[in-house]
Amino acid sequence: MRSIQRRLSLGLVSVLLIAGLVVGQVSLWLFETGLQRYLESGLQNESENLLIALSRGPQGLQLDERRLSPAYQRPFSGHYFSIEFGDTHWRSRSLWDAQLPRPSQPGLDSVLQPGPEGQMLLVLRSDYQRLGQAVSISVAQDYTPIRDSFKQVQRIGLGMGVLALIVVLLLQRVTVRRALRPLETARKQIAQLQAGQRSQLDAQVPLELEPLVTQINHLLAHTEDNLKRSRNALGNLGHALKTPLAVLISLANDPRLAAYPQIQNTLREQLEQIQQRMGRELNRARLAGDALPGAQFDADAELPGLLSTLGMIHGEHLELVLKAAPGLHLPWDREDMLEMLGNLLDNACKWADAQVELSLNQTPDGYVIEVQDDGPGIPEGERDQVFSRGTRLDEQTSGHGLGLGIVRDIVDAWGGEMQLETGALGGLLVRIKLPGRTQKATTA
Amino acid sequence: MRLLLVEDHVPLADELLAGLTRLGYAVDWLADGRDALYQGQSEPYDLIILDLGLPGISGLDVLKQWRAQGLATPVLILTARSSWSERIDGLKAGADDYVTKPFHPEELQLRVQALLRRAHGQPNQPLLKCAGLHLDEARQCVINDGAEVQLTAAEFRLLRYFMLHPQQILSKSHLAEHLYDGETERDSNVLEVHVNHLRRKLGRAVIETRRGQGYIFGAGAQ
Repeated sequence: MRSIQRRLSLGLVSVLLIAGLVVGQVSLWLFETGLQRYLESGLQNESENLLIALSRGPQGLQLDERRLSPAYQRPFSGHYFSIEFGDTHWRSRSLWDAQLPRPSQPGLDSVLQPGPEGQMLLVLRSDYQRLGQAVSISVAQDYTPIRDSFKQVQRIGLGMGVLALIVVLLLQRVTVRRALRPLETARKQIAQLQAGQRSQLDAQVPLELEPLVTQINHLLAHTEDNLKRSRNALGNLGHALKTPLAVLISLANDPRLAAYPQIQNTLREQLEQIQQRMGRELNRARLAGDALPGAQFDADAELPGLLSTLGMIHGEHLELVLKAAPGLHLPWDREDMLEMLGNLLDNACKWADAQVELSLNQTPDGYVIEVQDDGPGIPEGERDQVFSRGTRLDEQTSGHGLGLGIVRDIVDAWGGEMQLETGALGGLLVRIKLPGRTQKATTA
Repeated sequence: MRLLLVEDHVPLADELLAGLTRLGYAVDWLADGRDALYQGQSEPYDLIILDLGLPGISGLDVLKQWRAQGLATPVLILTARSSWSERIDGLKAGADDYVTKPFHPEELQLRVQALLRRAHGQPNQPLLKCAGLHLDEARQCVINDGAEVQLTAAEFRLLRYFMLHPQQILSKSHLAEHLYDGETERDSNVLEVHVNHLRRKLGRAVIETRRGQGYIFGAGAQ
């Protein structure tokens, strides 16, 4: 996504550029037109002066030199005239040997004509009747100095325009940044939300952002509520199914059935299957997955309780070792994390002789969880079975645990990897690599 | 050993009652959380099996209130809520063990046996050993100097109680309270008869009588 800042700058720059150029050009053009009209009236006066200077002489018309402006005498002075009547053609001395182009029709020539010495001439042709003769007087003035000063004005205007543009852009940047500060705050809060450092967005935001923040908060609360409700419903369903199942399992072991060993065995097997399937599916349905961005697992607060629960269930002879950096927080739902660690450790405790070790580490890519025991381990050839056929191995050995199957479900839901190895203690080492959620959030 | 079973599902409670009674436990059964809250404290139980989904008050609240009022009886939670976070909550509320439904009857029975031994400072091993006697709880017989001695159900219950409370003076009323459930008629003469049977089978010195106080088991052995 492009940033709002850049988009606003681009928009502003193009609008200012177009408007500045149009206004500048139009005002220059208007000014030049006005100036030409003023010059035209000057030229008009000049041509009338010339007309007055024409008087009757001994050989027809003659020009009274005394009445002419001295500028017409000095060569290339920038002021020129030419007078034509009949076959006679007079030029001002200032033209020297150059010709003054005669406009095809009376009035100000719309095009500047080339003059001597690279001058550009503004030419006015006026036609009169003087002493019974048609006289055409062309008066010209050098336009180059005016053009040069216009160019200079244009350059200065352009420079000032660019300067103004830069100032405006800087001011706009400051304003936009100030106006977008609440957005930036919200962005940071969402990042914190992803990292699990907060569970709600701050509701004290400008009017424009309020619906967004309220909606996000509402969604968060709604998701949390939904999760709680569905977990509760699953708990109730589990309760409703598991209690009668316990009765059936107890009945299948009844001594009265001892006379029918085949029936008893089939009953037990089928009940076992129901129990396995139900346990796994109910557990899978309970997973929060990535639903709650604010969820967090506080290792320091939760692990001692988990380890003492395991100690209680498996007896005091097992030594449970915890290796985790203090203050470690994992960005996943507490119940999911407890379920995963509980099943991993439970599985390890079932196999261990005396020691089970849990280590939690944060790496640049995420988190690594390792659980190992000093039991017999799993031969390398059978390790694939655990993965390819889900709970198979676990079903065979523990009878009622769902252990590694559930762990696998959780790791899959989190997009992690799970490996089985032989650990330093001699038994099975389960290594789980989980991607860090904060990174996902910032790169997304 | 007298147990309290709190379970609102009647068929399961029936099964559990039958199984536990077969193992020589005197079991009282309640189905309501409020009754359990009261009776758990008023009667001297040796162990309580508590379901969590109870009518009235939830099992977890019952347990919390018991513990808050200083009840030290071992409590085994029996529940369909099998997630680890719920297990941890159960432990924090003061449970001593946690069995999830559905379960195998033997598993529950072994847990009950282990919990009772743990509560009385006995190691968890196949035979209960005390004062030179080895009690086989599964087969309800006792091994005395390598010779196996058969016991009746009543003798087994009495001997197990003695062996879990060695060198303690136990009055007849105390014994009656812990060997019979709330609905059985308690007759102290019957107890005397069973004590005499045990003495005949295992030797007089095994159980001494302290006049006006009660019986003491294994006092001479140490």
